Amino acid sequence: MKLGTRIMGAGFATAALMTAAAMVSPVDAKTRVAVGATETISSHNPHGDSISMGYGIWCQVYGCLGFFDFKTGSYKGMLAERWEIDKKDPNVWTFYLRKGLKRHNDGKELTSADVVHSFWRMKNDPQSRQTQNVKHVAKTEALDKYTVRVTTKKPTAPLLEFLFDRVMITSKDLYDKHGSKIADRKHPWGWGPYKLKKIEIGQRIVLEKDPGNRWASKSMPDELMFRVMREAEQRVTALLNKEIQIAQFIPPHLASRIAKSKNANLVPTSSVELMFLAMSPKHKPWDNATLRKAVCHAINRDAIIKAILKGQANRLDAPIGQGQYGYDPEAAKKMKVEYDVAKGKALLKKAGMVGLKVELHTPVGRYVNDKQVTESMIPMLKAIGLDARLKTPEWATLWANVQKGKVPFFYMGRGGVVDPSPAFAQYFETNGSPRIGFSNANVDRLLQKERATFDPEARKKVLNQAFAEIVKHQPACFMWRHKLLYGIAKNVSYKPTPTGRIWGYAISVK
Amino acid sequence: MLNYITRRVIGTIPVIILISLLVFMLVQAAPGDPADLLLSDEATPEDIASARERWGLNQPVYVQYWKFLVAALQGDLGTSFRYADPVLLMIGDRLPATVELAVVAILIAVFIGVPLGVWAGARPNSWVDNVGSFFGFFGISMPSFWFGIMLILIVSGFLNLLPSAGRNTYGIADDPITGFYILDSLLHWNWKAVWDGISYIILPAIALGTNMLGILMRVTRSSVLEVMHDDFVRTARAKGLSEHKVLWRHAVRNALIPIITVVGLELGTLLSGSIIVETVFSWPGSGSLLIEALNSRDYPLITGTVLTYTFIFVIINLTIDILYAAIDPRIRFDK
Amino acid sequence: MTNSVLPQSAREPVTGGTEHMRDFRKALGPWLKPKIIVGGTFVLLLCFMGVFSPLISPYDPNAQNLLNTLQPPGWWAGENFLGTDHVGRDILSRIFFGARISLIIAITVVLISGVVGVALGAISGYFAGHIDFGIQKLVEVVWAFPPLLLAIAIVAFFGQSLIILIVALVVQRWIPYCRVARGQALSLRTRDFVDAARSLGASNGRIIGVHILPNLLQAALVIGTFAMASAIISEASLSFLGLGVPPEIPTWGSMLADGRTYISTSWWLALFPGLCIFFTVLGINMLGDGMRDIFDPRLKRSGTGTG
Repeated sequence: MKLGTRIMGAGFATAALMTAAAMVSPVDAKTRVAVGATETISSHNPHGDSISMGYGIWCQVYGCLGFFDFKTGSYKGMLAERWEIDKKDPNVWTFYLRKGLKRHNDGKELTSADVVHSFWRMKNDPQSRQTQNVKHVAKTEALDKYTVRVTTKKPTAPLLEFLFDRVMITSKDLYDKHGSKIADRKHPWGWGPYKLKKIEIGQRIVLEKDPGNRWASKSMPDELMFRVMREAEQRVTALLNKEIQIAQFIPPHLASRIAKSKNANLVPTSSVELMFLAMSPKHKPWDNATLRKAVCHAINRDAIIKAILKGQANRLDAPIGQGQYGYDPEAAKKMKVEYDVAKGKALLKKAGMVGLKVELHTPVGRYVNDKQVTESMIPMLKAIGLDARLKTPEWATLWANVQKGKVPFFYMGRGGVVDPSPAFAQYFETNGSPRIGFSNANVDRLLQKERATFDPEARKKVLNQAFAEIVKHQPACFMWRHKLLYGIAKNVSYKPTPTGRIWGYAISVK
Repeated sequence: MLNYITRRVIGTIPVIILISLLVFMLVQAAPGDPADLLLSDEATPEDIASARERWGLNQPVYVQYWKFLVAALQGDLGTSFRYADPVLLMIGDRLPATVELAVVAILIAVFIGVPLGVWAGARPNSWVDNVGSFFGFFGISMPSFWFGIMLILIVSGFLNLLPSAGRNTYGIADDPITGFYILDSLLHWNWKAVWDGISYIILPAIALGTNMLGILMRVTRSSVLEVMHDDFVRTARAKGLSEHKVLWRHAVRNALIPIITVVGLELGTLLSGSIIVETVFSWPGSGSLLIEALNSRDYPLITGTVLTYTFIFVIINLTIDILYAAIDPRIRFDK
Repeated sequence: MTNSVLPQSAREPVTGGTEHMRDFRKALGPWLKPKIIVGGTFVLLLCFMGVFSPLISPYDPNAQNLLNTLQPPGWWAGENFLGTDHVGRDILSRIFFGARISLIIAITVVLISGVVGVALGAISGYFAGHIDFGIQKLVEVVWAFPPLLLAIAIVAFFGQSLIILIVALVVQRWIPYCRVARGQALSLRTRDFVDAARSLGASNGRIIGVHILPNLLQAALVIGTFAMASAIISEASLSFLGLGVPPEIPTWGSMLADGRTYISTSWWLALFPGLCIFFTVLGINMLGDGMRDIFDPRLKRSGTGTG
């Protein structure tokens, strides 16, 4: 599987070519692309959301320091031209801003004061839902007009995972002059290629290209609209009726409708969301590792991928997969848990838990075919001798309970896992979060070591040791990563990204 | 009369306060913590604790309720946890869409249901009556959400005649004046936008209005049936008025009171029915706002929306009672 | 609120009894209407499917087969008459078992709301005064919620279980009974025969039980049928919003909700349960309508409108 994802870097290259082509064409009508999206930002405040879509939208409007380029597998700067870590003190990071960037409407230049302000606002704005992104940051200072020094609390190798395309750079002067409410609503000006034209919360967000912007190319749509369409059926119908040009997340069973149509193509992308079955050792009888192993052997992942996900998922042998930071196919082979009913039965017998009542909790409609998937796991769990039952609590209740560590056995996903460090610290390190409540000294040690290792190769090695240790204790069965299908109109070319963000840079209208 | 109205209006105040208490307690008793739900997947326990503090969730429930009540009496329903906007403003933004949908649904119900009922009632046991009765039973027995899904599947999916979701096409409408999209477009003389609005509203309005259509048809039929045998209708007939005139001038006029009553009574059902229909058609009204609020445990928004719905419902009922009293003085002594 | 239901005029007791057949026919006459026959047939069908579902179902309603998912209806020729769902369960069997749940829910909801409503109404009307005031305030508050809203809130907050669902459906449905019962009781308490019973030393409970309740039966029956229809629709609506019963219990509403995901590609998943809901509710409504015509043409609208 190749992650043929083009985000900004590649976008720029094609953009240059397309610009030349577009100049020949005399047509000057405005190009519009509407995206049928599943989630939406809930606030005018660029620091007020922490959903993936929101980071993508705000980064295109306000601009962010940088982003992860899936094509090269490395970080690329946007507002920050380059950055470095102090050789003596690994806590000190220096970011050098691009010079001469012009803000929408008034052309004011980006300065380090804005960056320092944005870090401050993420931490202190009462509406901010991005505090977790700056939790490792102890201090931010402006060294000069274009240089910002970020000091971390502890050496943090994966810092860019927290900061890049998650720290939106908002203007200090506008905030000081108008306050957050007015600044965000009346003056949503930034340095990104798109201006914010209109937000109707819960309905749509309209962006308009800022023609003079350094990242705005001719081929990018002049207007980029995000329409909230939660029902997959609606997104498909709207795409086929040409109401929208890009439809996010097409469930596998609807794929054929798009594949058959004359107006649209189906484009898959492998998501970076890890799907897993969590078994919290904090709760009896899940403290028994033999039971946990038996469960992992019981699940026929290939059958589920084939029958319910219609092949639109990549099985996870290791905790992470291809394209994610630190993936090692050789190591993954050794970590694979086979589907083996006999072994599952034997393990369950050994644990003395045949006939045990277990309740699998699942969200409904949160992940691709989540309920259907978990529904099909019930007979599999029964096959090894568990008396399994499915629970479909409403999301609010389930999520609250999972976060408090009150749910012993659940199906869930962890999205945005580009660099696995934050996710694994959160789920598998002692006190990382109560969600699984797993605690193991070896795993803790390895995860801490990984964060303090700055050499990429060495870090990958430590990460894989941590993975192997986690798989050994199996606080979770790792299932798959969905191949997210996008429906894309034939007159639009776009390669979706694994994070689910939609970048105007990468869209071109034919 | 004035005395009666005053008494009734004052009588609803304790009811509304009791309702607010009930809703508040229900919301608080529910499992699921907004601080957990609204913060990011990566939020730390400290983030969650500070959000709880900020939203006043650490205070005892009675303190929270008292604060809410005092603020509500001053016209402030609090600020949404999730959207950080005043609840009243958010409802004000979304309510016109719901009201617009409800109005069109009622219009459809009245303009189809009443004539059907009149024809059916005028000729009992004829084929018109049978067809009408079928519509009546169809309307009251059809689950609106399933009907909505089938309409989407057939009308927008297979036939591709009307849009399946949303309220309008972006970029056609002018700036809103009243928030009622079709009305605004009429005021702007923007016919394209008027048609656009109508094309979006038809399907959800049909799905929502069918139930009321059925009820209206049946009520109209039976009132007309009763009235047709009354003395004054006989007198009118004896005076040599044509059957057509007798029917529409006398019979229908007398059937109007029960019809209006039913429309009033069913408004509540319609309002809550719109919660489901809005979900099916992604209609951006206050019903879908309520579902979103429930899903994220946005306490102020849930309380605010539920109270708004209830308040509207209480006002409708009060109005009907007062209208009734105006028509029939005996009712005043009923209670 | 308009309380249009007036106390029922006492019917003339049927005297004589020599010509049994003629009386029987006379009594049967009003029941032989298309509305009642058609409606009754649907209702009987529902009862039949519900009661005998384990016997008539070709498969276990929860048995999955991942190799046989989303099969279209095979009708008489195929293995699955109405096809299979997304995890390969037989839809026909699930429809039969779904009828059982619809039936259970409808009956329990109607019985509980009937008992609660009539009891509270009778007490309220009979004792009047403070008790009446208190109960009527409760009625006013609960009734002030738009139908279904309270049910949505209750199930959303307190989770999925059959009991909570039933509570959520009962919570407003007892009110029509209560209003009618109160009206009846209010007028009956001053009647001579009640006074007579009281002077003979009958207890309040006995007076309510013997003299008041029987007079409420017909009205309660009519309200009950409509409440049953609305309970079935409400259950389906709640299941549709994902607020129904736990997933191992097949219900028409949850089948429909599951099937909605597949509506454009596998229409049979949502079509059949939807049709079942429609025809069942239609049948109950027709039956109720016919019964209302027989018992009291003035008993209008008192049973509708509870979402």
